[in-house]
Amino acid sequence: MISIEQLFSHLGYKKFSEGDLQKTITTGYTSDLLSDVMGNADEGSVLITIQAHKNTIAVASLVGMPAIILCNGRTPTEDMIGAAKEEGIAILATSESQFTASYKVAKLLALV
Amino acid sequence: MRFCIDLHNHSCLSPCGSDVMLPSILAMEASDKGIDILALTDHNCARNLGPFAEACEIIGITGVFGIEVNTVEEIHVLALFETLSQALEFGKWVESILPKIKNSPRLFGKQYVCDVAGNYIEEVDIFLYGQANVSFDNLIELIIGQGGLAIPAHIDRPSNSVTANLGFLPRLPYSAVESIIVPPIVETYDYTVIQGSDAHYMEHIGRRRCYIEAQTGNFAGLKEAFLKNDISFMN
Repeated sequence: MISIEQLFSHLGYKKFSEGDLQKTITTGYTSDLLSDVMGNADEGSVLITIQAHKNTIAVASLVGMPAIILCNGRTPTEDMIGAAKEEGIAILATSESQFTASYKVAKLLALV
Repeated sequence: MRFCIDLHNHSCLSPCGSDVMLPSILAMEASDKGIDILALTDHNCARNLGPFAEACEIIGITGVFGIEVNTVEEIHVLALFETLSQALEFGKWVESILPKIKNSPRLFGKQYVCDVAGNYIEEVDIFLYGQANVSFDNLIELIIGQGGLAIPAHIDRPSNSVTANLGFLPRLPYSAVESIIVPPIVETYDYTVIQGSDAHYMEHIGRRRCYIEAQTGNFAGLKEAFLKNDISFMN
């Protein structure tokens, strides 16, 4: 289990939304199909995806995901950032792939 | 003759559609903007097509009865039908293959079924933006098989488009493909390209209408113009 703050500091990815710093991350879920995220992701996961738009925030909020990592150089749209701030969800962005980001998160969570 | 068409529009039934996008208001506004052939295409649901049909009839424009289906690949496809009954039947099937997820009106928006006068008569419980359990290829085949028009939506959009989600446009018997920007910035081969407003709010109505050259301003005219690839755009 790690805090949102640890996620920011250890990964060094670009921050677009602070999220709720009180929340903790227990695991991760990597997917680019939002319906798959909705159906299978666990509460408390960080979502690792390339879906850099507002609907991703709605899905993350529904599932109870405190943070999203956008990969492959994708940057969030303005309305995505707005929705993330409203819902208290952190957004980080990186040029790294979902594979690399997932590995780093898993390592940070001592899952690998 | 030249007819103005707009085949991609949402109502208050789509979670992302404005609550004041009543089917009758859509038909009235579209008529004011000179649209002759208008489709309502809510996400995965046909339940506002009844009042839409009534409104088109009263106003005197040609209604086309559609659904914007979200496939297993999360690709949006417009399924358009000539008759209300065909579309309602198809809509029932689409709803039956949606994941059984409850809508969260706070996160996604409300899903109102209304009557022609604009009264809300029902709020749909199941989440209509989910992905229907049908593949892109099978869906195209099914729509065409039922005499409908199958049109991959906003093929140049970075999300929920065939180009973005599959990486290419498979060679299938589309009736046409819908592009936000014309001429399209993505490969469309020799398919007929149309534009559609994808209106979710009042101010979107008619923003990307286009024109067909056909003998009749009805569904047969659409088919004719798509086959001939006789489409022109606003500018």
